[in-house]
Amino acid sequence: MTMAVAWSGMRGISAEPGYVVMQPTTLCNLACEYCYLPFRRENRKMTVAVAEAVAAGVAGFARTGRFSVVWHGGEPLATGRAHLAALFAPFGAGVEHHIQTNATLIDDEWCAFFTEHDVRVSVSVDGPRERNGDRVDWAGRPAYDLIARGIGRLRSHDIPFSTLCVVGDPRPGVATELYDYFLGLGCEVLGINVEETEGVNTRLNRHDPAAVSAFWAELVTAWRREPTIHLREVEWTLRYAAAVLDGNADALLPRRLDPIPTIAHDGSVVLLSPELAGFHDPRYGDFTSGNVLTKPLPEILAGASGTPWIQEFLRGIEACRNTCPYFGFCGGAHAANRYFEHGRFDGTTTNHCRNSKIRLLEGVLDHARDHEATAV
Amino acid sequence: MPEITKPRLSDGVETDPVTARVHDTRAGLSALIAEAETARQQRAEESPSDGGTAVCAWNHFENIPTFYNWNNRPR
Repeated sequence: MTMAVAWSGMRGISAEPGYVVMQPTTLCNLACEYCYLPFRRENRKMTVAVAEAVAAGVAGFARTGRFSVVWHGGEPLATGRAHLAALFAPFGAGVEHHIQTNATLIDDEWCAFFTEHDVRVSVSVDGPRERNGDRVDWAGRPAYDLIARGIGRLRSHDIPFSTLCVVGDPRPGVATELYDYFLGLGCEVLGINVEETEGVNTRLNRHDPAAVSAFWAELVTAWRREPTIHLREVEWTLRYAAAVLDGNADALLPRRLDPIPTIAHDGSVVLLSPELAGFHDPRYGDFTSGNVLTKPLPEILAGASGTPWIQEFLRGIEACRNTCPYFGFCGGAHAANRYFEHGRFDGTTTNHCRNSKIRLLEGVLDHARDHEATAV
Repeated sequence: MPEITKPRLSDGVETDPVTARVHDTRAGLSALIAEAETARQQRAEESPSDGGTAVCAWNHFENIPTFYNWNNRPR
């Protein structure tokens, strides 16, 4: 099917990222069943020289607009406070620091660190205790009590936090329980990630389409009763729906793709998908586009489209644009999902597209269709 | 507890079936969009300069990189 409307956004890769993802250590103290990270049992730490090179590279971006550094992992708190502070130090005051953490290591000292460095904290937690069965330590012990204790420390210090929740079984009955849990948790923002097949996680992510739509529709119902949490997927979808109704949906997509540079512990740079860092493929090599220790980051970004897998990915974006009616909402299938599901980058619809984009939009529309009576 | 009474896909239309379905759902969506806007105001996510539009309010959070990105949603 060829689309009558050609969406004008997402053409090529921007040379200016909105943020960088930093891997301060490969180590994670947990061994979650669904994790995609390949070296999370090893403690390969980022050197200060790498952080200095990145800070020098992004200084220009930070001067011209809001710019963020996302400390991801591994588990970034496993780096230790002293070393993480040394990695923060080269970045100027105009840069926002964000941390995605499993919360298990958060104590009063870490809370003081967050406050001192004005860190935006986001916690990975999958709902109530019984829904965190995949979250275990290396000895196989459940991690939930430690996660809850860490969140308790954040709350006792009045540190606002966001949450990311992985859902392995999106189906009716699950969404209400989840939303109610997060209401009680006191988070400001919630993002729902339907589990993905990627990296070293090879579990299938194929679900009954009707069940996934019903999950999202039920989530809207639950949220609507008490919409005190900024719910990422609902905000995202309503933004698109409002723009369609207003007739300006084509202005919604970014003009170019954000390169999302991920800086690995050793300074190597993987663009577009942090999930590809650390992997190797006979056809694509190690997916890197350079190393900040030998080439300035802006130069690496300027030459991004020269990386062979990225050329293939950009053809995949055009294939999505030309064939998928959801392109205006989605912007094209994500690189890592294409690779780990299709083995290449120029295919189109992935199971991740179906679960987290297509069924999401359809579920919100199903909800809106079935709840006209509540119109105010 | 069937949430969906009439499951339906935006398929089987010649062109741009998704846009067509959004327009078909205007009544229900408008109510939902209005409630979302009120909720944002109560969460103090909108400043007067936002002009009260969903797009501007959304932009406030668009720059939270642990949450939003069009071409690779963080996990």
